[in-house]
Amino acid sequence: MASADKTINTDVPEKDVFAIHFLQSLSNLRIQNLFNSPDTTNYRVRKIKKAAYVSMARAAGGTSRLWSRALLRRAAKGNNKIVRFPRRKRKVTWKISSKRRRSDQRAPVVEDAAERLRNLVPGGGGMETSKLMEETAHYIKCLSMQVKVMQCLVDGLSPK
Amino acid sequence: MNGAIEADLLLDYNTDMSVLERQRAHLKYLNPGFDSPLAGFFSDSSMINGGVIDGFLGTDGLNLPMIYGQTTVEGDPRLSISPETMIGTGNFKKRKFDTETKDCDGKKKKILMMNREDEVEEEDEKSKLTEQNNGSTKSIKKMKNKAKKEENSYSNDSSKVTIQKTDYIHVRARRGQATDSHSIAERVRREKISERMKFLQDLVPGCDKITGKAGMLDEIINYVQSLQRQIEFLSMKLAVVNPRPDFDMDDIFAKEVASTPMTVVPSPEMVNSGYSHEMVNSGYSNEMVSSGYLHFNPMQQVDTTSSDPLSSCFNNGQAPSMWDSHVQNLYGSLGV
Repeated sequence: MASADKTINTDVPEKDVFAIHFLQSLSNLRIQNLFNSPDTTNYRVRKIKKAAYVSMARAAGGTSRLWSRALLRRAAKGNNKIVRFPRRKRKVTWKISSKRRRSDQRAPVVEDAAERLRNLVPGGGGMETSKLMEETAHYIKCLSMQVKVMQCLVDGLSPK
Repeated sequence: MNGAIEADLLLDYNTDMSVLERQRAHLKYLNPGFDSPLAGFFSDSSMINGGVIDGFLGTDGLNLPMIYGQTTVEGDPRLSISPETMIGTGNFKKRKFDTETKDCDGKKKKILMMNREDEVEEEDEKSKLTEQNNGSTKSIKKMKNKAKKEENSYSNDSSKVTIQKTDYIHVRARRGQATDSHSIAERVRREKISERMKFLQDLVPGCDKITGKAGMLDEIINYVQSLQRQIEFLSMKLAVVNPRPDFDMDDIFAKEVASTPMTVVPSPEMVNSGYSHEMVNSGYSNEMVSSGYLHFNPMQQVDTTSSDPLSSCFNNGQAPSMWDSHVQNLYGSLGV
């Protein structure tokens, strides 16, 4: 199919956007004054990791992607925050069970791998396999962007 | 001899008679009450089973005494007659008059499937079939498909030619493949998945050599896992980095965020404050800088060495932009 790539849109913002979002979230963490006397490093690690994911989700398009929506919803639930999600124009995906029963019969090789992928990609539980792969592509791009940003930060911060 | 003659006639049907005539003959064959010569046909069951009919109908399981007087389909799996079974098989298959296939060589046979509940035109289909019959080879599957079509056309004996346009996806079923609507949808879905797999293959590094869906998917899963582990590792590293001395950053941060889209002429004060050379090229509001750098002065002496590689690594050799100062300010406010 020559026009395949036109139908799949996996554009990801520049690295700058990711960097700005991440730095903002980090400085927010700083403002919370959690790092003055943390009990364990683990707590900080978890906070930073969560901040990284949330900032990545925001930089990647907020609620316009299924995986970022799921990520943000998960994070908001953890913080007991109330987040408003704007209504999407397209129909929301169906429940997991109905889709899963039918897809179990199809190409078991693909479906086993898709099952594992669903556990990895946030929000993958409610997607059909083809949609899942689209989301995975965008997710991979955003993850690699975030990794680059964090690597730069670490390199910049680490003492020479 | 009666049976042999009938068998020959049935064989000839394939080339001489039109589809409709063939159907009628076949119905007569199964409903001996319509035609008396056929009644004697059935009495000679042994003849039929061992005769040439097997080549035409392939009725290994055809027990004529069993279907005598019935119009059942059990004995004839390939030429199914009863309309109920045909309609019952999934969606009611319609055909569309296709000029391409009509003119084409008999080698290729394409069946256009459409899912709709409207009536269908028949005449064109029949003529198309006869043409194809003449040139095409006789394979068993083809007979089956033809028989199915016959049944559809026989039950709707309309002579409409016009095709009602719908907004369904028109898919062609290829030769030798099932024409069930479910399997077509299945095929479309599989093609979608393989198309996305190819897209993913470009994303994941080192996937050119791997062929096959299973290996590819394993590779993709490993890549996603490795990326997630990298993020976790880097966040651990970030948490371990020594925290900077604390200072007041709320207002700085607010101003910086507000001034992001602005570009400005670099002022000599920026040079004097000891900012790195990228700052000179970057655009930033004079007032913001002047209010900001006052706070930054104590920081700057500590951080001058490490801020350079940070902004340079973020830029990666790109043209310096006003983003540099923003990042630097943000970074300086971190102290994580």
